Amino acid sequence: MDNAIQKILIIGGGPTEIGHETELDAACVQVIQAFKKQGIRPLLIDNNPFSSALESVQPTNMFIQAVTADNVQRIIEKEHPDAILPTVGGVLAISVIQELQENGVLADNNVQTLGIPGNAIMDINNPDRLNSVLKHVGVPIIASETVGTLDEAVNVAASIGYPVIVKPIAPRIDTNRILCESEAELISAVTRGFSWSRFKQCVIEQSIVGYKEVELVSVRDAMGTQVLIAGLENIDPIGIHSGDSMVVTPTLTLSNAEYQELRDTAFAINNQFNFTGVVHTHFALQTNPENFYVTKVTPYNDRGTSLAACATGYPIAYVAANLYLNQRLTEVRLPDIYHFKQTALLEPSLDHVVVRIPIWPFEDVPNADQHLGTVMKSVGSTIGIGRSTEEAILKAIRSSQFSPKDELPSMSDLSDSQIISQLIHPRSSRILVLLEALRRGYQVDELTELTKIDPFYFVILQHILDVRENVQSHPLDPLALKQGRYYGFGDGMIARMWQVDIDTVRSIGRGNNILPTYKGIEPSAGELLKSPTGYYSTFEFENESEQLSDHTVLVLGRGGNQLGPNASADYFTAEMLKQLHKSGYETVIMNTNPNAGSLTSMLTDKQIIDPVQLGDIMNVINMEHPVRIFVPGNRHFLTRELRRRKFPVSVLPPDQEGRSELLTDHATIGLDLFVTEHHVVPILASDLRSDEGIATTLAQITLMRAPASVNPQQLSQLLDHANEYLASHKRTGMVQLLYTTNGSQPPVFVGVRPTRLTTIAFLNKVTGINWVRMLVRQALGEIDEDLIAKLDIDIRSDRRSQMRGTFPFKQLQLPDQLGLTTQEVGARISFGTLDPEPDE
Amino acid sequence: MAQRFLILEDGSAYPGIGFGAGATTTGEVVFNTSMLGYQEIVTNQIYHNQIIVFSQPIIGSIGISHDSYESILPTAKGMVVRDVTDISKNRQRSLSLDQFLKQHNIPGISGIDTRHLIRQLQQTGTIKGSIVDVADDHAFDQLHATVLTNQQVAQVATPRPYPNPNQGYNVVVIDFGLKHGILRQLSKRDCNVTVLPWDATAQDVINLDPDGVLLSTGPGSPLDLPESVLDMIRTIEERIPLFAIGLGHELFALANGSEVKKLKLAHHGANHPIRTIITNEIIYATEGQEYVVDPDSVDRDRLITTYVDLVDGSIQGLRHRDYPAFSVQFFPDGAPGPNDSVDLFDEFMETMGTRE
Repeated sequence: MDNAIQKILIIGGGPTEIGHETELDAACVQVIQAFKKQGIRPLLIDNNPFSSALESVQPTNMFIQAVTADNVQRIIEKEHPDAILPTVGGVLAISVIQELQENGVLADNNVQTLGIPGNAIMDINNPDRLNSVLKHVGVPIIASETVGTLDEAVNVAASIGYPVIVKPIAPRIDTNRILCESEAELISAVTRGFSWSRFKQCVIEQSIVGYKEVELVSVRDAMGTQVLIAGLENIDPIGIHSGDSMVVTPTLTLSNAEYQELRDTAFAINNQFNFTGVVHTHFALQTNPENFYVTKVTPYNDRGTSLAACATGYPIAYVAANLYLNQRLTEVRLPDIYHFKQTALLEPSLDHVVVRIPIWPFEDVPNADQHLGTVMKSVGSTIGIGRSTEEAILKAIRSSQFSPKDELPSMSDLSDSQIISQLIHPRSSRILVLLEALRRGYQVDELTELTKIDPFYFVILQHILDVRENVQSHPLDPLALKQGRYYGFGDGMIARMWQVDIDTVRSIGRGNNILPTYKGIEPSAGELLKSPTGYYSTFEFENESEQLSDHTVLVLGRGGNQLGPNASADYFTAEMLKQLHKSGYETVIMNTNPNAGSLTSMLTDKQIIDPVQLGDIMNVINMEHPVRIFVPGNRHFLTRELRRRKFPVSVLPPDQEGRSELLTDHATIGLDLFVTEHHVVPILASDLRSDEGIATTLAQITLMRAPASVNPQQLSQLLDHANEYLASHKRTGMVQLLYTTNGSQPPVFVGVRPTRLTTIAFLNKVTGINWVRMLVRQALGEIDEDLIAKLDIDIRSDRRSQMRGTFPFKQLQLPDQLGLTTQEVGARISFGTLDPEPDE
Repeated sequence: MAQRFLILEDGSAYPGIGFGAGATTTGEVVFNTSMLGYQEIVTNQIYHNQIIVFSQPIIGSIGISHDSYESILPTAKGMVVRDVTDISKNRQRSLSLDQFLKQHNIPGISGIDTRHLIRQLQQTGTIKGSIVDVADDHAFDQLHATVLTNQQVAQVATPRPYPNPNQGYNVVVIDFGLKHGILRQLSKRDCNVTVLPWDATAQDVINLDPDGVLLSTGPGSPLDLPESVLDMIRTIEERIPLFAIGLGHELFALANGSEVKKLKLAHHGANHPIRTIITNEIIYATEGQEYVVDPDSVDRDRLITTYVDLVDGSIQGLRHRDYPAFSVQFFPDGAPGPNDSVDLFDEFMETMGTRE
């Protein structure tokens, strides 16, 4: 280990946005844990209110500030860290480090960059320089040229020939490739590209649209030892951003020779750049003639590395953190699951298939262009794990739907020309359209030609249709149920096909011994296993999972990320899990979001990656017999169905149904309170605003600012009113009382609502008290009223704080518009300054 | 597709769906944890008389390809898989895994809980099994009564010499059940190869005046081969650069006084880290072994250990102290598996180049 390193500044990922969600924060938490274990003091800069990582560092090591070069510089000059870590902060962190390198701040302050050597940072962020390095390694590269003006761009594109791809150099956001079919498209793309590039430069390159996209995730130590963690195969071809593509791991349509060539190339590149930690290498493959290109090298945590970690059970971020400290892979011990020593060196071998399907925000932002292309539009994703490709695909589809009933929407209303058009220009319903096209008799060759998707997947989809047909035409037949479940159909889907209720389906299953078998998610394909903590279900012979304890709590994760309060739900879930542990419960989480911090294995005793749907939940209940089921946020359908079956369900924060009372839809002041049986604890009074000023509806309130614009007398009036109101209206949990003000007149009460998930995260940061844990303790009946009475919250504090929602409009290429709470993709907080932050 | 069964010596029966040939076969049941390369695996002659359980859940998804044969006439006794897809990708669209297995009379069985089976095999160790239509007493009686040959090498090795002409070093390959990856690597390095049958004598080899000799991979136990093979090795290693792989490595160890023992459980996979002792470098390579060199028996005055598997501690490579002769237990040619150790063939070239 490198003893020179005592203090490391970690650059956080900032607010979640299209391109990164909770995976950066989840990785950050693991890195912090590893650093602490090695006696290192981690400092963290981030302004994401939904960061769990911020909860895991001491307040003195926490810098709640926007991730900018200036802010990072100030921290460096004040705190003198020995090293800085850019690998859990996404593209933004890389861009900040690059700036600090260029202006000499890192060298002047003797700060070492971990993971990525200085020159490599410059190279990976500049396609031109990347190409020249790749050329040196002997990797085939794509014809490309850098341009700084529109004229140059037009000339270069003409000489390469359309279609071309435009990539901004050193972009501030993750929008890496724009496909242009014509000069008009080029001009628009280059103009946008210049605005994203720190150098106002773009690269124009030959289009490789239609190629197969494959990604490898590897780790490397400072000695040059490397382990290949996973190969990720994009089912959709290049032309659809890999973040918007369906992805499968392990790779299913690559030959050994192809795969090994990619492995050798990735390792050679890692050596050339001298990376340590985790690297995600992107390739484009042409099948005929066989040829491949390296399209991107990302030596840091991202959605690819989190998928690889989730699919294999290999704790990538934790291992990488140790490697940054110059530990060798031979020395890193994974959590104690194997009987041999060099556990971090085991190359994962899988006996299951994982499929990732993205989730798009088009329901909440209906005016966005819904076509999928080279610019990423999805805001989340969900995975399905199975023992067959069919099972993995079906589970992923089931989890990616918005309907709570575990049924798939029908595409049968589409006309044939719409089908053709959507095959060529895919939209978010792509997978359902592919199924519909097959159902209508399109041939595999035809579909491969139109979509550039490997024929293997059409064979699989056709098989799904065949199974569906068989199940549908054999209502109540145990054999049909067995086949359906075996290939991944949910009980809800089968109930719908048979026109019966789900309990009928389940009782046929029980009566005929068609029971789920849980299989471990671990990296040795069953060869060296002791006891994994991650499981998925299938319907086979052997079940490996058994009841955890007689005091288990089951927590239902939120599944794939969507716009709205979901951005904070994962944070909320993770904090809940910590408290449940502290309260002495064993915990089981069900979730399907590979980026979720709440799925990190150290948070829970058991993780089950299965659709969070009624049938699957009841399977888990039958296995675990939980004493309690917690639902973070609310999922009305599931909650209702579970309660109807007499399961002990607790919704946190306490349910909204029947608890909101609104006199008008307009408010300017919010007073958040924590209410127990005997006490009312005022937490924060704040101004409630829209993104552009006064909010005319509650749905527009996406900005909270404290202290509230009320005079001391008005504040007293608020508090008096709140006490009075809550004395007569029995509530527990967290509530927000809403008011309007007019000059120095007494505030006018306009309503009450449960405190939003996002607001709770904000309140945690403002008060330094973890209100999520309070809510959990309250739900468990563990609240100590004496302690509540002693809570010392300075409601009259003049410390300034603000939380502001962020929106995906720019990335969805929409003009600025007034954002609604249902459209928030993330949020940022700031303290001490009310100045509007520069819009990046 | 009809229901068929995999039955094991311990009395267990696994129902599944048949694919490939409809033959009833018996063999040793082994499992392979490689992530890809089913064609290379099933055509590797080390699986002669064996039924292979695949941990990779999806088999058949890329069909059968002309450049993935490790032998032209595979002699495995079966494939046991969770899921098989019937796809042809060659130019005629004419050869899927299913058709290929039918042509070679190899049965397959899908729909098996292979993860469970693999965990089971860890308990029982390598065990005999059959793929049958009906799992009745008769089938089990047949299974118990079947005596598997110990003449595996003679069954699969070439009976006659054949050349693979080129302009470079003159290399003699002794075929114990040669996997084609070895020929491909020698061919890439322009070697003028003559393949000799497994029972070639030292004089047969010397007559061809080779620059180097390669002892190939192959099936079965090195202990079942006659002493004459070891004599041949002892004579050759003194005079000609020697490179031995797999079964060849086990024979090389035996010829130099070491003992070889049977593993309770065969190991087939590419995920174990292997330490290169001299450089401390970690590599990955496909291992496919049922036998292992007993580390306590290695005569340190004659042999140096060069590679060690970090998971099970097994010796994976040896080098002779006095002669230009070295060996590896794993497969440096990949096919399938990583190419991390492919430079061993370059080392072999160098050894031949420095020969007086």
